[in-house]
Amino acid sequence: MRHYIYISLLFICIATSAQVNVRTQIQAVDSTFLPKLTGDFFYESKLYLGEQYYNKDWMTGDILLSTGAMVYDKSLKYNGLFDELIWLNETNFGKFKIDKPFVREFWLKNKPYSTVHFKQINLNEPGTVHRQDIFAELRVEGNLSLFIQRKISINRAEFRYVNNVLCQYDVITATPRYYIKLPSNQYLMLTKLRRRAFLKLFPEKKKRIAKIIRTNDLDVSEESDFVKLIELMNNDKTL
Amino acid sequence: MLLLKRIFFLILVQQVALMYCDIKAQTNGKEIAYLQTDRTAYIAGESICYKLYVLDEATKKGSEMSKVGYIVLRPAHSDPSLKIRVKIDAGMGYGSFLLPDTLMSGAYEIVAFTSAMKNFGEEHFYHKQITIVNRFDKALDFKIVEPNPKDSDLLQQSNLDFKIKTDKAVYGIREKVVVNLGTFNSKANVSVSVFEEPKIPSTNQSIVETLKNAVGTQTIQRKSIYHSPETKGKILRAYVIDAKTQKTIKDAIVLLSCIDTVPNLQYAITNSNGLFQMLLSNYYNGKELFLTIRDAPGDQNWQIKLEDEFAQSEEWHPKLISNNGSSKEFIVKSQNIVYINKSYQLNKSPNEKLTTDSASICPRFYHCKATTILPSDFVPLNDFPEIAIEILPQVRLSKDKGKYNVQLFNPLMNLFSAVSPAVFLDGVYVDDIDKIIRLGSDQIKKIDIIDNERAFGDLVFSGAISIISKSNEMAGTKPAPCSLRLKNDSINVGSGMVTIDSEYIQNKNIPVFKQSLYWNANLELNATDDTHFEFYTSDNTANFTIKVEGISENGTAISASSNFQVNNSINVIGK
Repeated sequence: MRHYIYISLLFICIATSAQVNVRTQIQAVDSTFLPKLTGDFFYESKLYLGEQYYNKDWMTGDILLSTGAMVYDKSLKYNGLFDELIWLNETNFGKFKIDKPFVREFWLKNKPYSTVHFKQINLNEPGTVHRQDIFAELRVEGNLSLFIQRKISINRAEFRYVNNVLCQYDVITATPRYYIKLPSNQYLMLTKLRRRAFLKLFPEKKKRIAKIIRTNDLDVSEESDFVKLIELMNNDKTL
Repeated sequence: MLLLKRIFFLILVQQVALMYCDIKAQTNGKEIAYLQTDRTAYIAGESICYKLYVLDEATKKGSEMSKVGYIVLRPAHSDPSLKIRVKIDAGMGYGSFLLPDTLMSGAYEIVAFTSAMKNFGEEHFYHKQITIVNRFDKALDFKIVEPNPKDSDLLQQSNLDFKIKTDKAVYGIREKVVVNLGTFNSKANVSVSVFEEPKIPSTNQSIVETLKNAVGTQTIQRKSIYHSPETKGKILRAYVIDAKTQKTIKDAIVLLSCIDTVPNLQYAITNSNGLFQMLLSNYYNGKELFLTIRDAPGDQNWQIKLEDEFAQSEEWHPKLISNNGSSKEFIVKSQNIVYINKSYQLNKSPNEKLTTDSASICPRFYHCKATTILPSDFVPLNDFPEIAIEILPQVRLSKDKGKYNVQLFNPLMNLFSAVSPAVFLDGVYVDDIDKIIRLGSDQIKKIDIIDNERAFGDLVFSGAISIISKSNEMAGTKPAPCSLRLKNDSINVGSGMVTIDSEYIQNKNIPVFKQSLYWNANLELNATDDTHFEFYTSDNTANFTIKVEGISENGTAISASSNFQVNNSINVIGK
């Protein structure tokens, strides 16, 4: 019996390896016809104190272009300070800001089976006339969708001596913004996660939401709990 | 001993598995083409309605691989007369094409194939013989293909379980014919043609026989040059060669663009054989393509040599015999019918259309905002160097050995870039900067400038200057020696349904003479209900054939035919 198992395994291995070879060959041929990324050269200033990227190290990512085409397995970083997607071109090792209108969505692959999904959203910033396009992480998709803009802001300026030369550095910190997309396609924004501020966004449903928070023992100021709350609100039929 | 036996057995199994894999790999993706036409004899000036089937050899179902099919019409011992590109969807494509009035009388061959079929040799292409007669040929001393007695006739090739029933056997002129195809054991897609029985002998195989013969071809020899299956669209194949030495150039960057209001680009890099391939999306259909080699050395004569996707390695050399008397009578009648239809302008039916897909996406060179300058906002300037000096502070033009150089100011580096930027004129990548030099304010509508270093795929450009002219200046320029300009053909489309309009039937003052009464490229057969279709007879009294060919959902080939007569007598006897 054992011999039969060995033989079957051998057979499967040979057949599988033949399939893999064919697939590899097809992909290699097909890469010629894949869409090309376009972008400006990205000059990275070192005069910042703090991390300007959402992901410090290059991550493999896939991009859905505005043309509807997909680009797979590119080395990417999301820059929260400039709200730009940076691409490391592995042929010439240049860093390029991918043309923002060219990108609709992108996925950064953290680990196998764990990806961070960013989407370009259009919103009206308070006090601005023009519509603004930003990249925001999509955390919850449903009746209410939750987007988190991984914004990095300049906090203050700091002066330091480098090689006896006084240099001005900008201290940067993460200042995430939370956008809740309503079924009417309007966006509600929270700059800080506070229970009272959140409840104020839904004055008519305030009691029901407060009950959900209480029942599930959620701390809205925690991002993970906030995400959970939006998911629960989506599942609650009374809301 | 036992161990030896086991080892031997294992080796045997391995060998069998390897053999199986090898056969599987060779047959994988093999396609069979079959072309049905509405008739087999035509007069030059008429249209050929066709349906092209591209089937997977293993399953006999419509192939999902190739999306482009090629049809070549060629006379004996000569070059092709017509080249047609067909869009294939789920293994089927249809359309119609007009036969030029100038075609010589004689035997013609239609060759149908896909790019993937080239890997198995031209003997695997589909070949069909037809006869075309020039409308003004009165001598009719042309030759036709000698019928092969081995070729079975149509009835023998048919499916015995598929029957075509007409409501009568004999019809009068301008009478409605109702045809019942009955029920088939599964859903199927067929093409139907109703045509006058030609007196010219024809020995074409039916779809049933084509599929049967394809199974017999076990000796598959892959060609050394691999042709990628056109799974997304047409693939342009070309070589970069040194014109002096005829050697192929590897790693050359070839750029493709076409005239548009936005700069567009696509590139490919030649492989070790000097070959490059580019996928031509619907965007390029019917457009003029501008190909150029980036940074081609000035002292060498690099050229782009295009591969003809329609090319056949050999001419067609059939056995020809003289045309006999009975077919001459038929041909003269056909010529007269075409003459009448041309006189009364009744030949509008097949509706040849050359369209471009409106949903096609332009491969833009950039998607970001550019600095736009409108020369009309300033005082008129004579040429581009003057424009650069007066209104484009970020552009510097210099002249070296009689050749102009353009440089852009890079704000990040705070200096003029040593490398020239990408220059576009009317959306086309300019192979020679001198082409824009003579353009002044009167000719230029808009100038877009991107001063940053830019990436386009793996290529890096020191910014871009895009000039849109007022009167399409690019079209009038001469391509540089390392460039190639060619017209991309459009996909052939046409009406899948041709029948006689009932308004003609009712109008007794119009002569309605037709040798093709009905053509439907897409008739769906139902597995549960009977399939009916109807059409009108014309003033042409003759014997007509109804021919149905197609493929079922489960890969069964369908081929059947039936005859009926059209008489001019008032009292037509019912069936």
